[in-house]
Amino acid sequence: MLYFHWILLAAFLLCLLQLGVRVAKIFRAGAPKDYSAPIGDKKKAIGYSFTGAMSPKHKESAYLHLPTYAAGIFYHMGTFFGLLWLIILFTNLILPAIVIQISAIFLFVGAAAGLGILIKRIVAPKMRQLSNADDFISNLLVTGFQAFLGIALLMPQYVPQMMIYTAILFLYLPVGKLRHCAYFFAARLHLGYFFGHRGVWPVKHG
Amino acid sequence: MGKKLTEKQKTGLGKLDNMLDARLETALNSCVHCGLCGTSCQYFLALGDARFIPAHKVDLVASIYRRYHTTVGKIAPKLTGARDFNDETIDEMVDTLFGACTMCGRCIAHCSIGVDIPHVVLACRKMLSEMDMVPKSLMSTVNAALETGNNMAIPTEEFVDTLSWLEEDLQMDLDDDNAKIPVNEPGKKILYTLNPREPKFFPLSISAMAKVFHKAGESWTLSTEMYDVTNYAYYSGNDEHAAIITQRLVDVAVKLGVDTVVLAECGHGSRSHRWEGPNWIKEEYPFRIITTVELLAEYIRDGKIKVDPEKNTMPLTLHDPCNLVRTGGIVDEQRYVLSKTTTNFREMNPYGRESFCCGGGGGNLAMSEYNERRLAIGKLKADQIKATETEVVVTPCHNCVDQLMGLNQEFKIGVEIRTLGEIVADAIVD
Repeated sequence: MLYFHWILLAAFLLCLLQLGVRVAKIFRAGAPKDYSAPIGDKKKAIGYSFTGAMSPKHKESAYLHLPTYAAGIFYHMGTFFGLLWLIILFTNLILPAIVIQISAIFLFVGAAAGLGILIKRIVAPKMRQLSNADDFISNLLVTGFQAFLGIALLMPQYVPQMMIYTAILFLYLPVGKLRHCAYFFAARLHLGYFFGHRGVWPVKHG
Repeated sequence: MGKKLTEKQKTGLGKLDNMLDARLETALNSCVHCGLCGTSCQYFLALGDARFIPAHKVDLVASIYRRYHTTVGKIAPKLTGARDFNDETIDEMVDTLFGACTMCGRCIAHCSIGVDIPHVVLACRKMLSEMDMVPKSLMSTVNAALETGNNMAIPTEEFVDTLSWLEEDLQMDLDDDNAKIPVNEPGKKILYTLNPREPKFFPLSISAMAKVFHKAGESWTLSTEMYDVTNYAYYSGNDEHAAIITQRLVDVAVKLGVDTVVLAECGHGSRSHRWEGPNWIKEEYPFRIITTVELLAEYIRDGKIKVDPEKNTMPLTLHDPCNLVRTGGIVDEQRYVLSKTTTNFREMNPYGRESFCCGGGGGNLAMSEYNERRLAIGKLKADQIKATETEVVVTPCHNCVDQLMGLNQEFKIGVEIRTLGEIVADAIVD
């Protein structure tokens, strides 16, 4: 491993540690006992919370905002794909050139989607009013990561710079809204528990 | 860290500290400000103000959390939009989280992450309640319930008189001297509750349910000590007050020895007493508790009452109370009842779990400070009703009845607003 590998690994571990502390804090805080008589199946509802309830068919935030929703999906797919590529780069696995080129295109699409979301945040007055500095920084960091990684795949001489850039992203992640990557799962879990207890979820969609 | 906090502000922040459990911590850290929830909120849809986007409402509270509970928020508040808990922020919280949120919960299912937005709104209301910042009109409704036993401060004599003449009318209508409205009778199976609006303004809905009980041969009673199904302390955010009201219901049910408490047609009353109540008093109920909607469906399904849908042939639609449907899961029962008691039922669009609030929820019906806003956001519902081209709107909630009557007048819809019990009573055949 070279120096930039170590820097990235250290940043990643620091990020994990901070997220771990936050997750531990949630567990430590605990949920109060619910004394009301349950009528539903909490396990099924939690499952539904991560599946059916997330379906774009049942979310106005998806079907009423298809361009933004699609951009968000590509953006997130680009991020996960980028993380996968970081692992590949760490393992020094040699892949065929065509795979690398297609991967780079996929990452550029993700970055373009991120850029689109950023432009919307800047241009739409209501989005501007809702945003703070972290909203822009977080987007720029992740969009930049995908674009930078795409470039580094095509031009490997930029891998060291890309890894140092990604280290900055990992260091920033627990500070701002990017930490939703951990809280998202807790949020879905809580919803499943809450609606499951009351028999509201799972919804049987006709 | 900003200006020095006043004692009142410290009290509010102290309340936030105490409430920070896993659920609230999660909700305060999850929103990514995507703003897509805006189209799920009728305040934003009707008024177009970005302050009313649910994400903004969450951020009002989350920004305070970040300021006082995160290192970055303490050192560099502007980076994450962390705000000082000052008078300006507090005023905005009161205006937005009391006056521009019915806590209908429509935004939850549509949030791209799954942030429990009304839970955050309620947490903030609890902070404001601790600081005596609850809007006066809402507080006076709670105080009336605490001081007199019902939120409309109806004296017991007046209540008993009303029940007495209702019973006489019922006996005449049914031509049956055995038709009764029992009061404070121990050993009955059911304790039935009422929304105080019923004895005060809509006594015929009491007669309707009395007729249903009589025809079902039910063993039931009302209580003069505690009949109020509402619990506005849920909306004012004061758990101690809410617990007092809940405890009264429990005490009366235990004293009378009933095995089932039936909650009158009231959305927030159903939620408060059925789901929140046991947590306020930190005890499981020693009795079964169900809503009138479930009871009516049960009676029809079990053949305890015979109904003829031909008795209600007028075109009719249904307004779903948010707390009954979205956080109570009661969606099909009212439709089953209507399918058996009416012939010309038409759904609104959207309906059920997707239904929009009437606009009176979240305590807004009691908050005269926001009357103008409350009626303005109701236009959405008024338009939905008009589109059904019906003559009657049925809703199993007396608060919704009040708001819908206001909308009927304001937007000249030209419909009659009725409760489910009234529809069932009209459909009963011997």
